[in-house]
Amino acid sequence: MSTLAPDRSTIDALRADFQVRLAAAGTDAAVKTLADEFLSRKAGSVTLLMKTLGTLAPGARREFGALLNSLKEEIEAAVEQRLQALAAARPPAGAVDVTLPARERPVGHVHPLMQVRQQVEDIFAHMGYDILEGPEVEDDFHNFEALNMPPDHPARDMQDTLYLGSPIPGATWGARAGGVPDAQVRAATLLRTHTSAMQIRYMKTYPPPIRIIVPGRVYRRDNLDLTHTPMFQQFEGLVVGDGVSMADLKGTLETMVTALFGEVKIRLRPSFFPYTEPSAEVDISCHKCGGAGCGICKQTGWLEILGSGMVHPAVFEAVGYDSDRVTGFAFGIGIERVAMLKYGVEDIRLFYENDVRFLQQFPSI
Amino acid sequence: MKVLLSWLREFVDAPGRPEDIGATMSLRGFAVEGIERLGDDDAVIDFEVTGNRPDCMSVIGIAREVATAFRLPLREPPQLFPLTTVDRSDIIDVVIESPELCPRYAGAVADVTIAPSPDWMQRRLRAAGVRPTSNIVDVTNYVLLELGQPMHAFDHTRIGGRQIRVRTARAGEVLTTLDGKSRELSPEMLVIADAERAVAIAGVMGGADSEVAAGTSTIVLESAYFNPLSVRRTSKALGLKTEASVRFERGTDPNLPLLAMERACALLQQSGGGDARGTAVDRYPRRIESIVLQLRRSRIARLLGTSIPDAEVRHVLEALGFVLRDSDEGWAVTIPTRRVDVTREVDLIEEVARHSGFDRIPMTFPPLTAAPPPMDPRIVLARRLRGLVAGQGFSEAVTFGFTAAAAAEPFADGEAIVPIKNPLSEAFAVLRPSLLPGLVESAGRNVRRGQRDVQLFEIGNRFTQLDGEVQSIAFVWTGAGRPLHWSERTREVDFFDATSLVATVAGALDATTELRPLNTPPLFLVAGQAAEVVASGKDSGSASAVPVGLVGRLAPEVGEVLGLPSEAPAYVAELAIEPLARFRRTSLKAFAPPRFPSVDRDISILVDDTTAAGSIRDTVRGLAIADLAGLREFDRYGGKGIPEGKVSLSLRLTFRSPDRTLTDAEVQNAMGDVVTALKEKHGAVQR
Repeated sequence: MSTLAPDRSTIDALRADFQVRLAAAGTDAAVKTLADEFLSRKAGSVTLLMKTLGTLAPGARREFGALLNSLKEEIEAAVEQRLQALAAARPPAGAVDVTLPARERPVGHVHPLMQVRQQVEDIFAHMGYDILEGPEVEDDFHNFEALNMPPDHPARDMQDTLYLGSPIPGATWGARAGGVPDAQVRAATLLRTHTSAMQIRYMKTYPPPIRIIVPGRVYRRDNLDLTHTPMFQQFEGLVVGDGVSMADLKGTLETMVTALFGEVKIRLRPSFFPYTEPSAEVDISCHKCGGAGCGICKQTGWLEILGSGMVHPAVFEAVGYDSDRVTGFAFGIGIERVAMLKYGVEDIRLFYENDVRFLQQFPSI
Repeated sequence: MKVLLSWLREFVDAPGRPEDIGATMSLRGFAVEGIERLGDDDAVIDFEVTGNRPDCMSVIGIAREVATAFRLPLREPPQLFPLTTVDRSDIIDVVIESPELCPRYAGAVADVTIAPSPDWMQRRLRAAGVRPTSNIVDVTNYVLLELGQPMHAFDHTRIGGRQIRVRTARAGEVLTTLDGKSRELSPEMLVIADAERAVAIAGVMGGADSEVAAGTSTIVLESAYFNPLSVRRTSKALGLKTEASVRFERGTDPNLPLLAMERACALLQQSGGGDARGTAVDRYPRRIESIVLQLRRSRIARLLGTSIPDAEVRHVLEALGFVLRDSDEGWAVTIPTRRVDVTREVDLIEEVARHSGFDRIPMTFPPLTAAPPPMDPRIVLARRLRGLVAGQGFSEAVTFGFTAAAAAEPFADGEAIVPIKNPLSEAFAVLRPSLLPGLVESAGRNVRRGQRDVQLFEIGNRFTQLDGEVQSIAFVWTGAGRPLHWSERTREVDFFDATSLVATVAGALDATTELRPLNTPPLFLVAGQAAEVVASGKDSGSASAVPVGLVGRLAPEVGEVLGLPSEAPAYVAELAIEPLARFRRTSLKAFAPPRFPSVDRDISILVDDTTAAGSIRDTVRGLAIADLAGLREFDRYGGKGIPEGKVSLSLRLTFRSPDRTLTDAEVQNAMGDVVTALKEKHGAVQR
């Protein structure tokens, strides 16, 4: 080292070396060691160079003396700055490691069928509907007879019914405890095949006009497969009043499906239900392909979504309404069907397996 | 109803591709279930015919709808063999003993040579899904498909006494039907009999003994109208459904039998099967006349929400075969007897709407004429509970309302369980007496699929013989009671996690809960970790207490039966919602926070380890110390340093007065009373 003579390139090299190594020095100790290596009184490389200044000619001595002095100050300042930066980066005493994982509180998720149900309830609540539930165990009168399906009616075959081994106490309808007289309490003999049974209970209790939505579980003697379960959920809509028309039905249904699926069109196809006349199956334009045809809609552009119609006068007569004075519409829609279309679920059984990994993908509330 | 396009076109010049015809008819009430192309110029279109339209279970019925939809003329059946109706005949006589069940019966005799039917006929039958057998049977099936009139052919030699008697079966009468099955008949069933015995079950199936066979040379053709209900009941009772029975039970046209007979005889001749004798015995004791309905113009507009031009109304109805006469408010409409579905004005409006197109109906809204009512409180409550419990980390399950008998048994007394009369399978044999079997099954499925920590709840109805349908909320919790975290040790769920949830739910409904140990709990709970939940109002005290449910550790063997592995403990609870909801306050008077400070005092006492904390609490409360604001156990310790059979219990008592700061002496006095009472009642020793 003592042979070193101060020249510009040596000084520049020292500076460059220092800067690189300072940047890499991550602790106070490393910074101090580095500072010593350059500036220590005995063996600092800058110090050593300074000691050689005496051997130089006065002109060069002055020149290189100034350069070395400035390098020394530079290093001292950089070291100080670095030490401050390190101090600033150091967590304060008692600091926690904020990057450690949070304590996980389990978050529950509302069942997707219930989310759809609540959405539908809200859509109709905004349109001024009364939302209420009815009993799941029913009697023949409410489930069939009053809905224009007298005993031996062939249409009863359309809904394969599950009967109870023996009658049990019938519900007074469960809703509005105290607010509603027990219209038609009869011993329950079957599991309701549709929420339409509640139409009858409501109409027997209240005079027109009425507009109600009845969500709930219904039962059919169906085997489990991709699209069937022996229990599923429906909601039934019923609007009765002076001059309620099929045009009103169409307008209402379009509002509902738009709220559920976005901008879709509806199409009514004539069909048959004993309790409505005219009756219509309702399709929506496929929300996936916009009606152009895709796998979801089996290339038809349309998806069958619900059944509906104008309340059959025989139903009004069964509940004591004047069928010449009032008209009304009714519709029924499967909640699973809506959920399957909305969420692209192809196997209805997933809704009833309650696998938490399935449930947790839906919004938590 | 499978309809061969070329057959259809004998009746109407249906235009376009079969897909186009199908698309149009789908919007007229005949959904297309499938189209099968046959070569370049023919196809089978499978139309779905709704149960109210037996008149369309035939080529001509569909043709009439197609003609109406496309505004085309409908042709009548091409060839008929004119028959002379006679009252008596030497070769066959018909006696109707039960005219209510058989309003009309026509019989005709033909001489035949049994052979296969011609190819064209066989092709058409096959296309419609009917297997050809012989020329005679094929003709009857052809007429059934073409016109919708079920027919039957008997071997004339097998009709004893040359007499057909339409009567109800005799008790114990037995008939072997065409399918080779021997069937015992009952007296409410209508049969076709000869002078001696039954030869056919009316409208359902013929007998094997009178069947047309290779050697048959003379046949009796039957073309009749049977009471739909009677056929339906017989078909159901026998578990026997046929092409004939499904048409009769929905209602055939009572005025079709003779025309169908003439068509059959023409086909017999045309196909070389034989020749009709030329006469028919047509008994029609209960004539069924067309009805006339009034159709009001105003009513159409009122129901559909749009008016339909008169010309359109007339066109649609006339094309469908209705006969219209103008009346003051609209039309008097004569209904063809084949249209069993049209019995009221509204049915006619449907016909008009169907063919003028549902797409023409505008979209409007029903006017709101009354203030919307508030939502059903039961639904509102369920929603709130759902949000609350999901917020506690529980995911919502939805399980079936029925379960297997073995799954239900641990949860209710045998006689309380409601069986299903006609269950689909053993797995769904009874109504659930509790939501828990389904929930535990769901939890088990999760655990078996590798989800170790499972928290599920359900809100739904359970059913018992005595109480009928009861809404409840239930929980199952297995796995971690405290989730895994680097800062602390995890632990499994325990009894007090479960009771915490119960208290939270009850509290949300303004109820407080008290737990009463069940030393002999129902089978699904582990003795020693089972309790009855008794609720009372926040303000009303224990006087109003009612049992609302159960909570505890699930019996591992019950879990195993339901598919929940027993390695990890599981805790369950179920609460009836309605009795809990009764505690909800309908009005609330808010109070300002207390202005004076409270004073906490802790004591530790030694008591027998069998002394319930609840009884100690009761003792303290029983002192009715006016300023005692709170009481809570904060430590319980037994073992080292504590005598055998004893336990150390630490209590924190909080004192506060609403109107002043309590003095130390006052609190000390009260504490003295507490210690004395605990000593007297429980032998407690202060530590």
